[in-house]
Amino acid sequence: MNLFSVALILFLIMDPIGNISSYLSLVKTLPPARQRWVLLREMLIALSAILLFNFVGEFIFHVLELNDVTLQMAAGVILFFTACKILFVTKDNPRANLPVGEPFVIPLAIPLIAGPSLLATVMLYAHLEPSIPLMLGSIFAAWGAATLVLFFANQIKKILGNNGLIACERIMGIVLILLAIQRIGEGIQLFVKGL
Amino acid sequence: MDTIVSNAITFFLISNPIGNSPLVLAMVKRFPFEKQKHILLREGIFSLIVALFFQYLGAVFMQALHLDPFTVSLCGGFVLFVTALRMIFNKDEGLEKEEASLQEPYFVPIAIPLLSGPGLLSIIMIKSQAVNNSLYVSASVILAFIGVIGIMIAAPYLKKLLGERGLAALEQFMGMILGLISMGMLVRGASLFYQTLGA
Repeated sequence: MNLFSVALILFLIMDPIGNISSYLSLVKTLPPARQRWVLLREMLIALSAILLFNFVGEFIFHVLELNDVTLQMAAGVILFFTACKILFVTKDNPRANLPVGEPFVIPLAIPLIAGPSLLATVMLYAHLEPSIPLMLGSIFAAWGAATLVLFFANQIKKILGNNGLIACERIMGIVLILLAIQRIGEGIQLFVKGL
Repeated sequence: MDTIVSNAITFFLISNPIGNSPLVLAMVKRFPFEKQKHILLREGIFSLIVALFFQYLGAVFMQALHLDPFTVSLCGGFVLFVTALRMIFNKDEGLEKEEASLQEPYFVPIAIPLLSGPGLLSIIMIKSQAVNNSLYVSASVILAFIGVIGIMIAAPYLKKLLGERGLAALEQFMGMILGLISMGMLVRGASLFYQTLGA
């Protein structure tokens, strides 16, 4: 694992491009200055959740007596179903039923940016990757990139258009399913080796 | 020149637009005629873009995300399988009107994984590694997709031939065919995965 790969994977799971339309519809009633402030606040909340799981993950791992297989499989399966919700639009889609009013923690910071799938993945990588600077570096790189994307959400939407955004969401959904299948596959490989 | 044409024919056959056209017609049957042509042209261009992307950056993409080859087949198979189930059991009817417009096929499932499926993407990656001038492979991909897109745009005319009832029956039948195609991809992915277990 190198910094670029981990950062890219975390960035994809945060899925800022896919979240642009949800973010814009959440903050559309707020004045622009307030929007930027809300975005920064929500992103910082998301970052603290991610960092929390980066450090506390190992502790949870021991308390619950998990092993590598369970962690891999859980991260994969959660990501898999999250991606399915993105790819196959249904009524109970978290992006279709956004609450009204200014977002605070829910739903922008958690679960749209730092959802269960991201936190489980962070926990997994923090466990597999012994180098703390590498983990922190990739978390900050991914988080910074995601914040930039959402900061320029309006401009990106203007360039891509509504349909372009839907297309991006779908592509991201496919990529997330690929990642999830890889995680689950690695989990099964580990499980078979351990038999 | 020969390799360009023969590669183009290979890509065209693997993409299988002729076999796929009743399939995609069943998927877009809710839309008016002009809209159908528009959707299919767009999906054709999307799948061409994905094919060209995979030709140049496929290996880099797979490596950066630490993806094994089995994921592409399993993912394609899974997505098509869910689509097949939806076609057979008509899940769309439960959705609200506004949400139904969201259901317009965008990239998934027509562009990927039906037209640019795992089979096509992997063979494009293999060919571009075998031929030293990658522009030749790109030329064959573009040549193949001219044919694919042409047939895709022609697909809505089938509707005139079949009529409303014919189309409804076609959807059921094509759901079954799609189920078979998706199972094929899933099994291929599973056997690729099984090989990694031995190593």
